[in-house]
Amino acid sequence: MKPLAWAYLALAYVFIFLPVAVLVVFSFQDGRLPVPPLQGLSLRWYEKVLSDGDLMTALGHSALVAVISSALALTLGFLAAHALARVHLPGSAVMRGLLIAPMTVSYLIIALGLLALFSQTGVRLSLWTAGIGHVVINLPLCFAISFAAMGDHQQAAERAARDLGASEAQVLWHVSAPMLAPALAAAFFLSVTFSWDEFIIAFLLTRFDVTLPVEIWSMLKSGLSPATNAVGSLVFLVSVTLVVILELTTFRKGRA
Amino acid sequence: MPTPKAALSPLAVLAVLAVTGPARAEGELNALVWCDHTDPALIEPFETANNVKVNLKEYEGTAAGMAILEQSRPGDWDVLVIDAVDVHRAVEAGRLAPLDPASLPQADLFPELVMAENNQVGGKTYAITEKFGYNTISYDRTKVDPADMEDWAALTSGKYDGRIGIYDYYLPVLGLVAVGQGMKTSDINAATLPALRDPLMKLRAAAKQVSDVVASQTALATGEVDIIVGGGEWLTAVLAADNPNLDWTIPRQGGLRWAQSIGVVQGAAHPDLALKFVQYILSPEGQARLATSSCYWGMPTNTRAGDVLTAEQKAVLRWDQQPDYLKRAQLYPIPDAATDQAMQDLWTEMLNQ
Amino acid sequence: MATLAARERRLGWGLIAPALVWTAAFFLLPFAAMLALSFAHMEGRAIVSGLSLDNYARALGDPTMLKALVNSLEITAIVTLVSVLLAWPLAATIAWTIPPRLQRLALLLAVLPFWTSYVVRSYSWLLVLGKNGVLNKALIGAGLLGEPLQLASTRSATVIGFVHFFVMLLTLTIYANLVQLSPNYARAAADLGASRLRVLWHVILPLTLPGILTGAFLTFVLCIGDYITPQILGGNTELTLPQLIMLQLQRSGNFPLASALSVVLMAVVTLAYAAVARWIRLDRL
Repeated sequence: MKPLAWAYLALAYVFIFLPVAVLVVFSFQDGRLPVPPLQGLSLRWYEKVLSDGDLMTALGHSALVAVISSALALTLGFLAAHALARVHLPGSAVMRGLLIAPMTVSYLIIALGLLALFSQTGVRLSLWTAGIGHVVINLPLCFAISFAAMGDHQQAAERAARDLGASEAQVLWHVSAPMLAPALAAAFFLSVTFSWDEFIIAFLLTRFDVTLPVEIWSMLKSGLSPATNAVGSLVFLVSVTLVVILELTTFRKGRA
Repeated sequence: MPTPKAALSPLAVLAVLAVTGPARAEGELNALVWCDHTDPALIEPFETANNVKVNLKEYEGTAAGMAILEQSRPGDWDVLVIDAVDVHRAVEAGRLAPLDPASLPQADLFPELVMAENNQVGGKTYAITEKFGYNTISYDRTKVDPADMEDWAALTSGKYDGRIGIYDYYLPVLGLVAVGQGMKTSDINAATLPALRDPLMKLRAAAKQVSDVVASQTALATGEVDIIVGGGEWLTAVLAADNPNLDWTIPRQGGLRWAQSIGVVQGAAHPDLALKFVQYILSPEGQARLATSSCYWGMPTNTRAGDVLTAEQKAVLRWDQQPDYLKRAQLYPIPDAATDQAMQDLWTEMLNQ
Repeated sequence: MATLAARERRLGWGLIAPALVWTAAFFLLPFAAMLALSFAHMEGRAIVSGLSLDNYARALGDPTMLKALVNSLEITAIVTLVSVLLAWPLAATIAWTIPPRLQRLALLLAVLPFWTSYVVRSYSWLLVLGKNGVLNKALIGAGLLGEPLQLASTRSATVIGFVHFFVMLLTLTIYANLVQLSPNYARAAADLGASRLRVLWHVILPLTLPGILTGAFLTFVLCIGDYITPQILGGNTELTLPQLIMLQLQRSGNFPLASALSVVLMAVVTLAYAAVARWIRLDRL
């Protein structure tokens, strides 16, 4: 049984890492086409990518949209979860269903709906409109994670703080949020990841200023080049570094 | 204490957004273009010379471009790049403003590319042709018999089954299918379209894939397919340096000529700057840069660009063969709305075979 | 005079209102706008609002459109099934074979490619699966293959691209489920004389079913609505519903038909949700 399990594990990892390996290897291609044979190693595609103004601007846009939309989604989701966990409200099951509902709808449909709304109300497409879409997809996630993390232990602490005269805002800020920090950090981080990598909403709801996936898509559409590999590899490297840092700091501590 | 009443009403949120949408800064030009215009090598010289910022949005297909204009507010756009055969459509929709012919280098254009019947409506000029080329057949010289490529019938003879890629754009490829049948592209209409069905499906049956620009390039460059129907210099010129075996030709039954026009949008916020941009694109320097744009290459319409282009660039563009090519290539089909829809439906059906 | 309970409730409403308003304004209202648009029709090249069912008649009656729906359902079913079958053993191996100390690392490694850009990931598979791609070169070089496999621009390529992504996702959800299981169940069953396979089949599998179903449902939703993967890998040799929607939107400018097709897509997902809703808890992911 054991050798079989290890063999399966090895094969699975090969499958999972195959596209990443190919992506990275051919980003060093010393030729104009990112396909075999490998003609030699070169860093010129990285130079090209790093000096590409449009790409770097798009990268900045992506980071901006991801952080702002995630912060908003987390705030809205956390407050809603707190309300439902603390107070008995009529129709709470319906409200929970409504807040979760966007999770069961394809991004494409959310994007088309917003496009219909924005074009009928004369709202100009921009990074803001894409950001609105990203809050819609991440709000259910932030709500669900916050709601699941709330328990008796932290509610007791909140009650104690309230008895000592703390206002609701103080309770939220000084008691609930710190006690739920690992869950909130996880929700925020997941939201950032989804927003950072989201394509179809950003594609349909932006105009001149676009996010990185949209910029990469137009790179892809305009010609085959190892530069696309270089961008992909860079994004991967940066993201993985962030994941490792978070893993070593936030999440480890949260589990201890 | 927060109450439900304090919450913003959805309409208020939308109203705020509508009002606070990014305002147009002075000295910004908004252009709705094809991807060849997004090359910084083309745009930056204009930005520097005029101290302005050019905002570019690419679109594919006239319908999508018209939809974007439809959904925009007046003054949102200054410059429009559009398929030359669709200029009338844009003018009829009230999207293009008349241009003063005297401000444009009409006299320097290849005579065939003035295209007055397309760029003018009711005696007024609304656009000027800026770039052109051919939709025909691209192939790998070492994998196919070049003599076969001179006859459209060879593609469906069975010899090249599974080695053909089709460029995913219904207008030129349906036009080419018509040309292969000895039909004129201008004769394509709702009544004649059914005759193209069988040859199109036969071509589809012989093809391995139907793909956009980059997937077609990839397929040809990697040997995934050996022939691209609908290809031309715009597909192979970019790859020429690395893969000299890639070639293109116009078969004896003929091919298609594509042409793109540029004009100033009706109600533009910066009409003077927009005209300046059009003039820059039509200048010999602008033309040379547009012809060799990183997205795709194509012939400049201004003959004086010949003085700016290098000999190698002209060789890749096949500058000297143009008189012959221009004679043998037909224009894109210009379908009315109903025929256009029927052509797209036929195309969608073909994709989903 | 407001009672304590009434004040509490008002506070609760105040806290939940922003999220509800946001969801109403940017989820329900847009959906209503799209629904309204799906009953409009095109006159020539202009959108005319109205109450026409033509778009739905086409979406469900036109053989080409229907075929796109069928393609989408088939691909999604295959992807979901294959992903579960591949991910379950992987999650189980990580949970049971790898020493607990290293499990988190193993899991992190298994999902690391999540953090390549999603658009780029499909493109990488194109480089792997091509006729002269890495896979064919390697297999032919190793003497395992005479002729190159025709993978790129086929349904297989689309499926492989999808399965890659969803194996990672499902490994996460199934692993989370497996480690919550008390080993006592298995031990108790084994003490009663059940064989390993029977323990697996009758005890452990039923207990992990909620995790599997939740993951499978997420796979279904994300897969059936995806545009990029079939667009990059499928070579347009067949169309999926999202590709058809994008064609209507981008090439024809037919927003009403695109809306109707989207409503159909949403109805399919809702039906699927109704079918499995009893067993899955999305709010307890």
